[in-house]
Amino acid sequence: MLKVENIQKTYGNLVAVNQLSFEVKDGEIFGLLGENGAGKTTTFRMIMGLLESDSGKILLDNKKIDYSITDKIGFVTEERSLLTKMTVKEQILYYGALKGMSEEKILQELKYWLNKFEIKKYENKKIKELSKGNQQKIQFISAVINHPKLLILDEPFTGLDPINVKLLKEAVYELKGEGCSIIFSSHQMEHIEEFCEKLIILVKGEVILEGYLKNIKKSYGIKKVVIKGENIDMTKIEKIESVEDIKNMNGEIIVHISDEKAVEKIFNVIKKCKILKFEALEPSLNEIFIEKVGNSHE
Amino acid sequence: MNKKLLFLTKTSLAKKTKSKWFKIINLLLLILIVGVINIDSIITFFGGDFNQKLEIIVIDHTNEVGETFKTNLKSSEKALDKDPKIVVKTTKESRKEIEKKIGDKVLIIFDSSHKDFLKAQVISDGAIESNDYQLITTALSTTKYNYGLVHSNINPKELEKISSPIKIDRVILDKEKNSDSDNMDMIMGTVFPTIILPFFMLIIFLVQMIGSEIYEEKSTRSMEVIISNVSPKTHFLSKMFSANIFAITQGLLLLIYAVVGLLIRGSIGNSSAVTSLTSQISDIWELLVKSGFVEKLSYIIPLTLVLLVLSFFAYSLVAGILASMTVNMDDYQQIQSPIMLILVVAYYLAIMASMFHGSLLIKILSYLPFISFLLSPALLVLGQISILDITISIILLLLFNTIVMKKGLRIYKEGILNYSNEKVWKKIKQTLKKNSNKN
Repeated sequence: MLKVENIQKTYGNLVAVNQLSFEVKDGEIFGLLGENGAGKTTTFRMIMGLLESDSGKILLDNKKIDYSITDKIGFVTEERSLLTKMTVKEQILYYGALKGMSEEKILQELKYWLNKFEIKKYENKKIKELSKGNQQKIQFISAVINHPKLLILDEPFTGLDPINVKLLKEAVYELKGEGCSIIFSSHQMEHIEEFCEKLIILVKGEVILEGYLKNIKKSYGIKKVVIKGENIDMTKIEKIESVEDIKNMNGEIIVHISDEKAVEKIFNVIKKCKILKFEALEPSLNEIFIEKVGNSHE
Repeated sequence: MNKKLLFLTKTSLAKKTKSKWFKIINLLLLILIVGVINIDSIITFFGGDFNQKLEIIVIDHTNEVGETFKTNLKSSEKALDKDPKIVVKTTKESRKEIEKKIGDKVLIIFDSSHKDFLKAQVISDGAIESNDYQLITTALSTTKYNYGLVHSNINPKELEKISSPIKIDRVILDKEKNSDSDNMDMIMGTVFPTIILPFFMLIIFLVQMIGSEIYEEKSTRSMEVIISNVSPKTHFLSKMFSANIFAITQGLLLLIYAVVGLLIRGSIGNSSAVTSLTSQISDIWELLVKSGFVEKLSYIIPLTLVLLVLSFFAYSLVAGILASMTVNMDDYQQIQSPIMLILVVAYYLAIMASMFHGSLLIKILSYLPFISFLLSPALLVLGQISILDITISIILLLLFNTIVMKKGLRIYKEGILNYSNEKVWKKIKQTLKKNSNKN
């Protein structure tokens, strides 16, 4: 389990991370969100021991993170961190050895992952000769070759097509099943929604929202109604109290509401029409993020 | 040794030695060194002839100077340590007959002169090689001088006294030096630059290798992954060790190439050329023995080696620290310039050491890290500094390395993960300031 307690990091007068605390249990995927410059990379660097925090503690399985336990951590950086002149095999052997693994074990794991990602044929190819997507897979393999106890994924799906995203997602779930604590960061909110049970949103180093995603969404309540049907009178819906906005998008009517009570009223207005779809939805994480981060900019 | 440090050092070394460039450059160096050592054989192979003798035909109308000229020419050749290359023959044939068949030969006609004692005509089909012409004119002047003395009715005994070289009784008051110490300037001017040139080149390799490797890891962002698994200190040391081992290996390879070149030279059987080189080396060696230099080698070599190894470390330390702060190739090129400049200054100071006559300034410069490894041994060879001075240079270098290692490691740790586009020196200053505030 990873425990981050009141960590703080300043650069001169700039507070990059302020009193940040969270926990990631074994087998849990935790979302760390924030716009660019929010303090995510600084937080990752502090967890990896690359930066020293000014105050606070970071513990993995109740031990302070230092070079005696970094072998148990995997890190997929936002930008590709591969030595492109090396072959795939050389690169994985290199990173694997740095994690204290034996050559035999690395090659055994490499075979497994290359087969899993369907890139066995590239084993002896130079990394610079691979496509961006395949390079990203190699980057992922280099981070998980040691079956880490803690895995940090910073934008892991960059440059991948939907098929490869699916392959990587399966791998992440596999590691979760092994009890790996995973910190996931992405600007693609649908991935966070799919993966993370718990999350934190950072703005300028400060936590502005945290908790279980389910609870966060629940606290926002129903904010949107999606209707698909025939002969629906939008002007009648617009007149209902608590309806903030209504628009027709690709044959679906999207109604934004400020009060859950409006759902029933909307239904009553359209119930005599031919209804194909009627959904009352909580806000998406994307909407919550925009609202929260947008508000803090104001 | 730490397992990861050993792994990183081995990997970095293998990366350098297994690269195509390393193999190509070493193949070229081998060809170049063997070629330079055997240049005369190569030229001979393509039609040149180093052993071709110049034939001089003498028509001596005085009937007196032919043999004298021959003797003087041989003496001049010997004085220049040259193999006899000129053959002199006297003839009774007429000028016209010889001119018809002159070819590559040179015809010299001696005539007596009331005004100048002796006149000579030098006739050839084309130009005469400048060294040969120089020898001929020297021998002609000496011949005229001898002829003049004889015809001035000077007593033969007096003439011998006049002609014999002056006896010089060379007295040097400094008991540590002897008369052959005068020749050390010549050694410093010819042998020393050749000996130190490979070290100069190796330092250039060293600086470039460390920098480019750190820059590569930084620019590909693999540094973050590496440093999350090994400490910056381990990473830095691995770069230093691998680069220094590589430089020393490269130095040894250059030595092996030279030996190969000499062996080939011996096996080709270019006997006169081999003899010439061997005799030149043995002359220099004899000079070194006479001057007492060889006795000094017992301490000059170990002290120089210590200075050399410490200087290799000093250069790699600074190159590594500076490279850690760069974010693009332009930055790195710029940052290398001051190091290269200091290195060039050290090289020129060392080869010109004898010109400074042991001035205080040059003595102080010889203590300075980066310069001492070339300048101190040069001054020690010349007897311008003592063992104590070179020991001071070593101590200063040790202190420099210790301080730079301590302070530099902090800069390195910050630098390798710093991608800001601020000026490199500004970043270094900020890091040092930050660390001093922490302390």
